[in-house]
Amino acid sequence: MTEQRLNGVGVSPISASGTAIWYTPEPTLTDPPAPETIDGDDEWNRFLTARQTAKSELQDEREQTAAAVGESEAEVFDAHIQFLEDPQIESGVESAVESGRPAEHAVSETFSEFIEQFEGMSGQMAERADDLRDVRDRLIRILSDSERADLSSVPPDSVIFAERLTPSDTAQLDPDRVAGFATVAGGRTSHAAIFARSLALPAVVGVGTELNTVATESTVVVDGTAGTVIIDPTAETQAAVGNESIAIQTESVSTGDGHSIEVAANVGTNADIQTAQEHGADGIGLFRSEFLFLDRAEPPTEAEQYETYRSALESFPDGRVIIRTLDIGGDKQIEYLDLPTEENPFLGERGIRRSLGPDEDLFKTQLRALLRAGRDAKTGSGTLAVMIPLVSTIEEVTDARAMIETVASNIETKGVDDAPDGRVETPEFGVMIETPASAFLAPALTDHVDFFSIGTNDLAQYVMAAERGNDHVRTLGDYRQPAVFRAIDTTVRAAEGTDTWVGMCGEMAGDPSMTELLIGLGLTELSMSAVSVPRVKTAVQETSVSEAQALVENIREATTQDMIKSLLRTSVR
Amino acid sequence: MPERVVTVVPEDGLHARPASKFVETANEFDAEVQVGHIDDNPVNAASMLAVTGLAVTCGDDVQVRAEGPDADAALDELTRILSTPEEDL
Repeated sequence: MTEQRLNGVGVSPISASGTAIWYTPEPTLTDPPAPETIDGDDEWNRFLTARQTAKSELQDEREQTAAAVGESEAEVFDAHIQFLEDPQIESGVESAVESGRPAEHAVSETFSEFIEQFEGMSGQMAERADDLRDVRDRLIRILSDSERADLSSVPPDSVIFAERLTPSDTAQLDPDRVAGFATVAGGRTSHAAIFARSLALPAVVGVGTELNTVATESTVVVDGTAGTVIIDPTAETQAAVGNESIAIQTESVSTGDGHSIEVAANVGTNADIQTAQEHGADGIGLFRSEFLFLDRAEPPTEAEQYETYRSALESFPDGRVIIRTLDIGGDKQIEYLDLPTEENPFLGERGIRRSLGPDEDLFKTQLRALLRAGRDAKTGSGTLAVMIPLVSTIEEVTDARAMIETVASNIETKGVDDAPDGRVETPEFGVMIETPASAFLAPALTDHVDFFSIGTNDLAQYVMAAERGNDHVRTLGDYRQPAVFRAIDTTVRAAEGTDTWVGMCGEMAGDPSMTELLIGLGLTELSMSAVSVPRVKTAVQETSVSEAQALVENIREATTQDMIKSLLRTSVR
Repeated sequence: MPERVVTVVPEDGLHARPASKFVETANEFDAEVQVGHIDDNPVNAASMLAVTGLAVTCGDDVQVRAEGPDADAALDELTRILSTPEEDL
């Protein structure tokens, strides 16, 4: 089988391969009944009801798009609502139903007139025709009570093929399942194109009617750089795409101007550690030790923990392995600890608060296992680092540190199990910055710790007072909120000129569109899900520190989430 | 009938966000508002279709007329939108 190439307009500089799925949203109309059987008043009321339904759908989609993509992309839905309620449309539909047309046909005919008018014009005007089509099809779908073609539940790695994609269509797309899309119509500034760029989805638009020859379930490559759709690609073509999207680099990486950045992985289980190695992580930036404690009847013994930590350290003999001490409470529950029911678990006794309180014995056991593992692990230049979660006071830090010293000296004087006696070096010690308190206290904290690791998920949640799991406040809990950025900025600036280095282990660290910003701020370590490591390593290499610092200066001026999003978009190469 | 002539400042002309804002504002007043290119047939400013259909671009001179109790207030607000850069809307 030979591969076939179709040319269109590439709208996002990325490629992907996947399985073609044709999406045909346009509802079909049946022949209308005879005019004398139509009750004009009934049809008019059907139209009004459908219009109301359409409006509330549009308002919902507006909110979803604002949250998922951005305010400026969401504004198109305002225009849709205005077209929906336009007096000219209203009078057109009214006179059509009075003359005996069913509501569906009245809508179709009234809109078509304006669609033709707009299509005859150039540029932006022609795109308004897309908007009108979108509103028309929505009304007809509601009137004919037909199911909406569902774009949200396509199989993973689908490449969506369509005549065109409207904002309502793209609002439903699940970027985790869609590998890219190709459309018959549309240009560089069409909604679909803008959407593709903002979500970093490969897309080719305006391919023309030849696209219709591609069968559903064909294997295709969408090359958003060259603007080509390749059908039945050869193994070489597919491999080229695979390499481009996920070039695994096992060596550590530096920015274009030579600043080395540690790109590490977040892990919870042994399987995660293996994935981290396979994706070229430099080390472990967040070992969630609570995973050892979950789903079992009693806590792991010191010996079991020792083995686990030691094996993690030996998996990255030349890298840094940061182990976070037990982070229980909040949304993580453990049966044998008999945790109290709290009204606000996220503001309750969790993290270091428990380790210095009811779980002190568990904490000491964990520290012993950690220190012994650090002493005994056979590594090269690799090091163990320990960090504590949910810090909000200096005392928590000094108490935890004192406890580490005590445990270290106990191991030294008494020895443990069969391990050789001897001096136990205290590991590098750091704190998670995830409460507003810790960000405010960052200047004082630098006297007590070797490093900060910014946990953006909790930091965003606590700074914005917006719960992570609550969809209604998702936009608020976003790390592109200026208040969240300022908390991060404050933390990094506090460490400038001190011996404290700053890393990050939240979702933000794994988002390649944030890499430049984070490097510009002065972070030297980024830790993320293993799968994100290759992309972020590439993003590091594409960054220049001086340009990144200029971006930071601009973002410092930004006062809204939209401004931050648009600054980030324009800086993406 | 009170009327004003204004040179359109928003980069997108009367499209997208400026158009949405313009139509939304025209709907907020009781006055009947019309808009159009000078010496051309004006259209209903409360209609998104009609306003977009004018194909007004940045730099065009347009005429806005209003009739009704709050005509002057409507003209103030609508001409402000037409003479404000898009990013400040």
